[in-house]
Amino acid sequence: MIALRVTGLMVTYGPVVAVRDLDLTIEAGEALALLGPNGAGKTSAVEAVAGLLPKRRGKVEFLGEDISALSASAIVRRGLALVPQWRELFRNFTVEETLLAATTAAVGREPIPLDSIYDLFPVLQERRLQVAGSLSGGEQQMLAIGRALVTNPKLLLLDEPSAGLASGIARTLIQTITRIRQSNVAILLVEQNMEIARAIGERCCMLAAGRLAWQGSMQEATERNEAVRVYFGEH
Amino acid sequence: MLAELGPVLIAGIKFGAIYALAALGLVVVHKATKTVNFAHGAFAMLGAFASFLIVVRWQWPYWAAYLLIPPAIGLVAAAIEFLILRRLRRADMFTVVIATVFLGIALAEGFRLTYNTELLAVPSPFAGAPFVVGGVYITRDTLWVITGALLAAVGCVILFRRGKLGRGMRAMASNIRGAQLCGYSIDHIYMLAWFLGGVLAGLAGVFIAPVTGVSVDLSIAVITAGFVAGVIGGFDSPRGAILGGLLLGIAESLSAAYVSSAMKNCISFLLLFVVLMWRPQGLFPERTARSV
Amino acid sequence: MSDRRLDLAATGPALFIILCIAAGLGVDSYSQYVIALAIVAILVGAALVVLVGLARCITLASGSIMALGAYASTLAVLDLGAPYLVSLLLALFAGAAAGWLIALPGTRFRGHNLAMVTLVFQSVCIILIRQSTWLTGGAEGIRVPSATVFGWTIVSDLGFLVLIGVLAAAMTLILTILLRGPFGKCLQAAANNEIAAEAFGVNVRGYLTAAFIVSSIAIAFAGALAAPRIRILDPDSFGILESIFLLAYPIVGGMQSVWGGLLGGGGLRILPELLRPVADYQELFYATLVIVIVMFFPGGLTELLRRGAALIGRSGRGRLSKAIAPGTPWSGTIPAVALPIPAPTPERAEKLLLVEAVDKHFDALHAVDAASLAVPVGAIHGLIGPNGAGKTSLFNIISGFLAADGGRIEFAGEPLLDLRARDRIRLGITRTFQNVAVFGQLSCLDNVIIGRGCNGVVEAMGASFDRFIAGAPTLQARREALAALDSAGLADQAQSLAGALSLGDQRRLELARAIVSSPKLILLDEPVSGVSEAEAEELRQLLLRINAERTIAMLVVEHNIPFVARLCRTLSVMGAGRVVAEGKPAEVIALPTVRQLYFGEEGPA
Repeated sequence: MIALRVTGLMVTYGPVVAVRDLDLTIEAGEALALLGPNGAGKTSAVEAVAGLLPKRRGKVEFLGEDISALSASAIVRRGLALVPQWRELFRNFTVEETLLAATTAAVGREPIPLDSIYDLFPVLQERRLQVAGSLSGGEQQMLAIGRALVTNPKLLLLDEPSAGLASGIARTLIQTITRIRQSNVAILLVEQNMEIARAIGERCCMLAAGRLAWQGSMQEATERNEAVRVYFGEH
Repeated sequence: MLAELGPVLIAGIKFGAIYALAALGLVVVHKATKTVNFAHGAFAMLGAFASFLIVVRWQWPYWAAYLLIPPAIGLVAAAIEFLILRRLRRADMFTVVIATVFLGIALAEGFRLTYNTELLAVPSPFAGAPFVVGGVYITRDTLWVITGALLAAVGCVILFRRGKLGRGMRAMASNIRGAQLCGYSIDHIYMLAWFLGGVLAGLAGVFIAPVTGVSVDLSIAVITAGFVAGVIGGFDSPRGAILGGLLLGIAESLSAAYVSSAMKNCISFLLLFVVLMWRPQGLFPERTARSV
Repeated sequence: MSDRRLDLAATGPALFIILCIAAGLGVDSYSQYVIALAIVAILVGAALVVLVGLARCITLASGSIMALGAYASTLAVLDLGAPYLVSLLLALFAGAAAGWLIALPGTRFRGHNLAMVTLVFQSVCIILIRQSTWLTGGAEGIRVPSATVFGWTIVSDLGFLVLIGVLAAAMTLILTILLRGPFGKCLQAAANNEIAAEAFGVNVRGYLTAAFIVSSIAIAFAGALAAPRIRILDPDSFGILESIFLLAYPIVGGMQSVWGGLLGGGGLRILPELLRPVADYQELFYATLVIVIVMFFPGGLTELLRRGAALIGRSGRGRLSKAIAPGTPWSGTIPAVALPIPAPTPERAEKLLLVEAVDKHFDALHAVDAASLAVPVGAIHGLIGPNGAGKTSLFNIISGFLAADGGRIEFAGEPLLDLRARDRIRLGITRTFQNVAVFGQLSCLDNVIIGRGCNGVVEAMGASFDRFIAGAPTLQARREALAALDSAGLADQAQSLAGALSLGDQRRLELARAIVSSPKLILLDEPVSGVSEAEAEELRQLLLRINAERTIAMLVVEHNIPFVARLCRTLSVMGAGRVVAEGKPAEVIALPTVRQLYFGEEGPA
């Protein structure tokens, strides 16, 4: 069963073409890594899928439904959640309130109890009543992921969850995402940190200059050193 | 000295409470939608006029005015958001300013055409002997305005801060993208914010009707006072709106009493100017946490 | 012949006013009165186009400024016995003073806070006028004495129409000249792309202040012109409501050209007359009409007319839009004098740009950590690194848009750190922007002319008048700009609007703008971000050619490493705020430390 099918996606900002003619598919429960250098269009692609950015062209189907024309709030209500690159938290909301806010998206479906989020991130339970702005970078990232999980997603988009965080965070993130996958949530992971990408991704797509430069299994990518070719050119 | 100062302060707090309601309505809408509704004063005027209709024309009990008018004006405001403001979401600031300003003018004109008199008088909700506190006379309706308006304002802030209703608006005010990712729809939240702003405007109108009477001037007076109070308090801070409103009312009353009635507006504006230059974020802004 | 056509376009609005006078010759005196007031409104509309349209500053103070002009002129005649024409001069001064006063705090704010500042001015002004009974007659107002010009006392409506019309036409002409010339262009650049404008020597606050002063002068003048016909001045007719109605003129008419002021001012002023049949419902109609226009025609009436003209026919569109289009660029051709092409010089050892131990903290984040690099004369040097490495911060420090916390930077021997961004072009440093920052509403030619850097406020005003007289931008400016456009391969797009170009062409335009002042160093911020591979290759060739032909050094920040490797002769790599490697691209990219930076601890297999 296909969780996400993107066909011919094109995203523009005025004259800038950020994403050109992108096709990708994610099966239910699968983990896909989206890689590529900065400016390749990865963030634009996932934000367009999630409905935060307007699409110039292309079609996005989620669980068989065409969500191309839906607003971001409508999309998350259907079970497609995004943890954006800059987290986009509410500075003055407490941890608890942030999670409560996201319960809006689970209305009408099975709501995720906050306890299971605290179970996944015990440190968030400790800091339940602290405002998001006073949390450390790693804690904020956990909160952002927790907020997305509250919406009971079938597909979780993660945009560079390790960005700006200390190097030790890789281990924690890998563990967390692996646990999330146990509930059969499909994952689209955008990452520059190869360690995390390799640990999580079963397949991978590489973007360069807005286009799909390569796709295949993660094992293939590693063996053929695709990343170096895409990032650094033929060397 | 206190005997002299007392009535001045009381009068200041009375108007201040009404300004607080007016400013709060503006701030709530701006906080959630990033637009200033310049028709806000006209909404208050409509509320005052509706109060005249209910109390004087139709002779219904006074509490009906307080209960029915705010939500009615709220619905009018929500309808205007849906019909007009939604189209202007991508427009630049000037266009929105002009649209809401002339909307206010259109509404005021509509009222003037329906009721061609200069000033409509509305009786106070409470008749009876004034209270005496510490040698100062406080009429019943003054006490009602002060307590009623302030209670409503504070209640609204509490609702905004704690309630589920307010959460969506605050989330959208804090981070539109984050709010959308929680499932909050921009359309719904904006309409809700305008509804709430309308309720507050209508309520301010019902309170102010017996105090000043109903006239077209009310629409400009309320928007000006509300805007000034809002900026003084801190334009995205609900509690700032209340405190700013009170401060403005007191400042006006003091200048009217000790300088001159004509200069009282001048002094309010100078106060505004000082605040803008010295603390542009307002005197009582929202405490924001610094991001790590 | 093309030169003469441009002159005509600039005199268009003024001539229109003269036509209105002519139209008024055969009608009754009431109509003449209406036309006269409409002309005053046209002048106010034109002035507000400068402030609200070009400078994008909201103002609620127009009513009070008209009052100041009217009262100043009237009091000069009454109390000082000045002749009418001299009293008009006093009104001009009053307007200038008011504009300057509002701009002092005003240019610090945008949006609603600016509206508040102007509201304060408006209200305090009117209150003071009302209170100063000894001077102004207070709320009762004062009678305005008849205007006497060269011994001829004007009493008839026709006389007023002619007097007001001629003077308003003159002032409108001045406004149009300023608006269409370099002053208007730089003002638009300042208001729409503050950072890019500063990078090319445009003093944004200076221009905004000038916009306030110029528009206030014209509005005060309008007030003084209307005064003798209104006959009685009272402060309440210049109140906040009046300011709001005046604000509607440019917004309803169209904010980008003087014609918007004409249509908005004239149209809205005449509207009440046309609505007389519905008498009582006048204001309601008026307000509703304004709302409908702003809702459905965001560009105002001029946009409506332009679309209508486009529907009518191509010739109609050509003439009409040429007349209406904001600052139609000069349409003739001139052979571009190519600058002499030097042979590509070998890299010299002397360092053009020397960055030493520059430091920058953002709270707890050490964004730039003792970073050093050097760019020799004529070199192409790259700066790469993953996200968050500090490249952008360092780049912004070098270009003057971010203050450093420590270290020093030398450019051609001169210390750079304390220099304002807008002064760096004079030293010979220009830049491009990651989010391409061309001045979208201006033509390519105008974009590049601004790139020359001769953009002082007074200088630009003078140049505007030169341009009017010559019918085109000055010969030297044109030559240099066209040569630069030619170098960038955009010679045939000189007249096109920058905003309409493709991204690749906009990036070329940025380059043309960056080279026209013959700089010694260009700072390039992600020059190929968002372009296709083919365009990136073209841009690379262009950069190499520019570097060889004009001996311009370049510092390139980029994420596209293959591109950088084929463009730059040397590279610096940044990670976590520090410069971790430096040298030739092939060597640097192969270093394990650099690979680790991009791929994490384990690196690619």
